[in-house]
Amino acid sequence: MDLTVNSVARTVQSPPLASLLTVLREELDITSPKAGCESGSCGACTVLIDGEPRRSCLTAVCAVDGAEVTTVEGLGTPEDLSRVQQAFIHHYAAQCGFCTDGLVVAATAYVSAGGSADTAAISDALAGHYCRCTGYVKIIEAVAAVARGDEFDIAATASSANNTYVTIAGAGS
Amino acid sequence: MAIHRGKGLATVEYPTGMNQNGDPSQAWIKVKPDGRVDVFSGTADIGNGSKTIQSQIVAETIGVPYDWVTYDNSNTDSSPMCTGTFASRATFVAGNAVLKAARQVRERILAVASRELEIDPADLEVADGAVSVRGTPAKSMGVDEVAGAATFVHGELLTGDGAHLNPGAAIVDPETGEVDRPPHAAISYAACSAAVEVDDETGDVHVLELTHVYDIGRAMNPTLVEGQIEGGAVMGLGFGVLENCYPYYPSAEHRGGDMSTYHVPTMAELPEIRNVLMENPSSGGPYGAKGIGEMANNAQPAAIANAIHDAVGVWVTEFPITPERVLAALDAKREGRGEPRREGRVVAFDEEMSINRFSSTITWGPDVAPPMCALRPAGGPSPASQDPFTGRLNQ
Repeated sequence: MDLTVNSVARTVQSPPLASLLTVLREELDITSPKAGCESGSCGACTVLIDGEPRRSCLTAVCAVDGAEVTTVEGLGTPEDLSRVQQAFIHHYAAQCGFCTDGLVVAATAYVSAGGSADTAAISDALAGHYCRCTGYVKIIEAVAAVARGDEFDIAATASSANNTYVTIAGAGS
Repeated sequence: MAIHRGKGLATVEYPTGMNQNGDPSQAWIKVKPDGRVDVFSGTADIGNGSKTIQSQIVAETIGVPYDWVTYDNSNTDSSPMCTGTFASRATFVAGNAVLKAARQVRERILAVASRELEIDPADLEVADGAVSVRGTPAKSMGVDEVAGAATFVHGELLTGDGAHLNPGAAIVDPETGEVDRPPHAAISYAACSAAVEVDDETGDVHVLELTHVYDIGRAMNPTLVEGQIEGGAVMGLGFGVLENCYPYYPSAEHRGGDMSTYHVPTMAELPEIRNVLMENPSSGGPYGAKGIGEMANNAQPAAIANAIHDAVGVWVTEFPITPERVLAALDAKREGRGEPRREGRVVAFDEEMSINRFSSTITWGPDVAPPMCALRPAGGPSPASQDPFTGRLNQ
């Protein structure tokens, strides 16, 4: 089967009923889609198939023959992060990171489709993703920021003197 | 048949780290010839932000920019020992270890700068990556220049090491309950208020709002602290109304099924979460910090239970508070069976029975001190222990 993964044409040898998740992780060594529940509940394996967010654990690879598959690696590079990736960093929307790749992919589809910054609309679109660490609050903030068109300067996020990351408030006292 | 609204409050106090000499942490630091700082600490960052926090502590203590600090916990050969990320201990215990190591590094930077500038180290200060003379900021040299001089002029390595170990467990006087030292390195406090809607026809509980006030010492990084509180809040919401970790306990096959039957909160259940951070610095923590990790999911289930009582007048005394349990409690109330009881006593506020619920194997006596929380009059009878499965009292 031939598919385009992150803009690169790939021919895969796995059995046709192997899950796309298994093919990505074990044959193509693309490990950002996570094998969470492997039963379609948790959302950690989400990838874009022709631009639509889909559970790769429930998708047989033969069903995506000829399709374009995008994982979080295809959205941006460490030097040139996508806006959703920047927003997740800027708003501290990741803790352990296990759910993050699936959420970034799904959030990308949400904002690409013109999704609004409304909390209820974001929750509706992303409620199929479990996160155990963040309590979702900062994830929603990040997605809303992209939907609003906020600008981020990630270099400043990490080293700005105005940011709470850097100086310990009142440490001199 | 109607929707009822209610509010409830619960509080939690939570110790920081372990208190029995059981959880040491160690760290070491070296400064490269260009002044950049490498921290080696064994603390695993499981998403709680301990790499960020410990880098902040090092940057602040030495006096260099945050982005000069590289935190290496990549392997257990190069990093010294850290007991782990648990017990709300990473910021306090491991943070104290890197703090002590960073102070040594600062002293050595001052010693080399003193020779370079020919000024007594007591008259020097380090800030923003530069060593300057107190009161004469024009006379200064960069920490990078100091590190270069240490390497290429003085033949020295700027390094520091630190370790932290909380004092051993307090010894409790069995008669008076008095302790011979503070039982914990620090104690964090919090309160949670929950607002709920209860449907008295379906038993469905909808948590509308969780408001938290946390005393966590010093919030070194308020964004990370909020992350801990919000994550804990949603986990506490799950424990309160959705999740039963061990539905078949004590059967050997006690675990729940897959994610289609074990429900965890999603964005769809997310209540409005509001946080207030109170800063009440501890005496022993780095920059006054206390722990925040584990306590963050403790108060919500109790606050939700209290809010349900406020809404519909029944106590549901088992978690999770499922619709079935709410309806059973409402039925009992309607049929005049009143509040749930165990051994003929109301359970909700039965402190003695709650305390001994999981302590049935321990017999309190002259050789075994009762736990600190078992408040009872001095010289009074030992509290009865209770079988955790049958609820039967053993005495």
